[in-house]
Amino acid sequence: MVVTGKWKQSKYRIERALGEGANGKVYLAQSDKGWLALKVGSDAVDLQSEINALRMMGKQKGQAEEQFLFDVDDLRGPDGREYPFYTMKYVRGSTLAEYLRQYGMEWFPLVALNLLRKLAKLHTAGWAFGDLKVENVMVSDYGYVELVDYGGATAFGKSIRQFTEIYDRGYWNEGARSSDPGYDLFSFGVLCIQLHEPKKLQSLTKELLPQNRSAAELLAVAEGCPGLKPVTGWLRAAFSNEYRDAAEAAEAWRTLMHKRPGKRGSAVPGWLKGLAVTSGLLLAASIVWFLAADLM
Amino acid sequence: MKQILLITDGCSNVGISPVVAAAHAKSEGITVNVVGVLDRGDVGELGATEIDEIARAGGGLSRMVTTRQLSQTVQMMTRKTVVQTIQLAVQKELKQVLGNGSIEALPPEQRGEVVRVMDDLSETSGLQVALLIDASASMKPKLASVEEAIHDLMLSLQARQGKSEISVFHFPGSRHGDDCVMDLGWTDRLQGVQSIFPKLPMSGTTPTGPAMMRVIDYCRQGDESGRNRYETDGMMGDYVV
Repeated sequence: MVVTGKWKQSKYRIERALGEGANGKVYLAQSDKGWLALKVGSDAVDLQSEINALRMMGKQKGQAEEQFLFDVDDLRGPDGREYPFYTMKYVRGSTLAEYLRQYGMEWFPLVALNLLRKLAKLHTAGWAFGDLKVENVMVSDYGYVELVDYGGATAFGKSIRQFTEIYDRGYWNEGARSSDPGYDLFSFGVLCIQLHEPKKLQSLTKELLPQNRSAAELLAVAEGCPGLKPVTGWLRAAFSNEYRDAAEAAEAWRTLMHKRPGKRGSAVPGWLKGLAVTSGLLLAASIVWFLAADLM
Repeated sequence: MKQILLITDGCSNVGISPVVAAAHAKSEGITVNVVGVLDRGDVGELGATEIDEIARAGGGLSRMVTTRQLSQTVQMMTRKTVVQTIQLAVQKELKQVLGNGSIEALPPEQRGEVVRVMDDLSETSGLQVALLIDASASMKPKLASVEEAIHDLMLSLQARQGKSEISVFHFPGSRHGDDCVMDLGWTDRLQGVQSIFPKLPMSGTTPTGPAMMRVIDYCRQGDESGRNRYETDGMMGDYVV
């Protein structure tokens, strides 16, 4: 199916559906410039609000290399109705959970580091991602991370526009539901637990009374999990809002990864071995990535 | 901006129809949202129709949810309604300026500017939400979840930049002939409030309509002089409106 923009007349050939976000559906589309992702909104105001956020983020200093938006227009759907849409970079890859299932948990420390660095860029621009969760993180070859669905992105100081309960620090009685760097870092911490102990996390939300939900309960799960034990200290700091922003948090994470394995560290040699191999691969991957981005 | 949020699980059976009451609310500029709580499919077809109609008459939204989805739904509905109220007001303005009220008809650039203003207003305008809770016998096991949802809503409202207040009412009242009891007057914080609902006696009646009329009255008094009257004794549980 080929769609044509109502205002700018750009043509896109819709290949297939990629997924569904809170504000609309995302399709893989082909234009004369190459492959891209096309998001069709169900509500003009909701989608426009997301577009505004993307545009603002793109305008910030230090974000020059990061183009969020390509085209904004309206299209006529098969049902004859008009729908707003925008196009963005197509991220080839799998969701975070799928990726780790396929390639192994030894990728976790590196992928998590890349995710923190991604968040750091947003934080530098004065925005929180908001709705950080496993489903909104895409990973492509060699651990390259991309965030998808910016519907929750919120300028610092405002109320978070979209969130998912179990990742929300307010849900865990650990702070306000307003945008600051700590909000994303809290969600990041929950995401780490979700990746390692999804069942335990799920049962926590069922068993605990609302007033008893706390970061301490989350940390108890992390302490009982071999894969998370090395980062328990980091998680504690993230949950108690000790990092200024994701850049500082990423630096602390990185230092942790490169620590010489002591007695405790020897329990997880796979991590560090994987990291050494993958950092080389990552360099190669990012070169490939930039080439690919240029072609688009 | 004012909203009434009704949380119920069935049919009203006493007094004025809640659909009429909701239409009154709308005419006073108060939007009425309704959440139907069902845990074992116990909202009958009649209840579902009523819930839907109350929201329609009140210019708001209606949803059927389980207790587990209650917090998220209440929070989401309140937010959506704020955006819609602003949207309606903006569309009215647009109609005067452009002769066309629809935001979709604007080219993308202008649409972006209009939506930016709308988002800004949604974040900064004052907001009052009166929660009206059905506490009839079948709702008893669900009240803990309702209380959780109220705390959760307060948390979301506190993050807004504009002044945000809630008040809480339940029905039926404990004494014969009381349609409705105020549990909390307008407040912007719930810290220190242990339990919103006192021990409630069983009662068979569900006077949804009359209760809503009382709440509309309370919302209107906020505009006039009634404010002081409620400020002193509004916080604690047993004040009967």
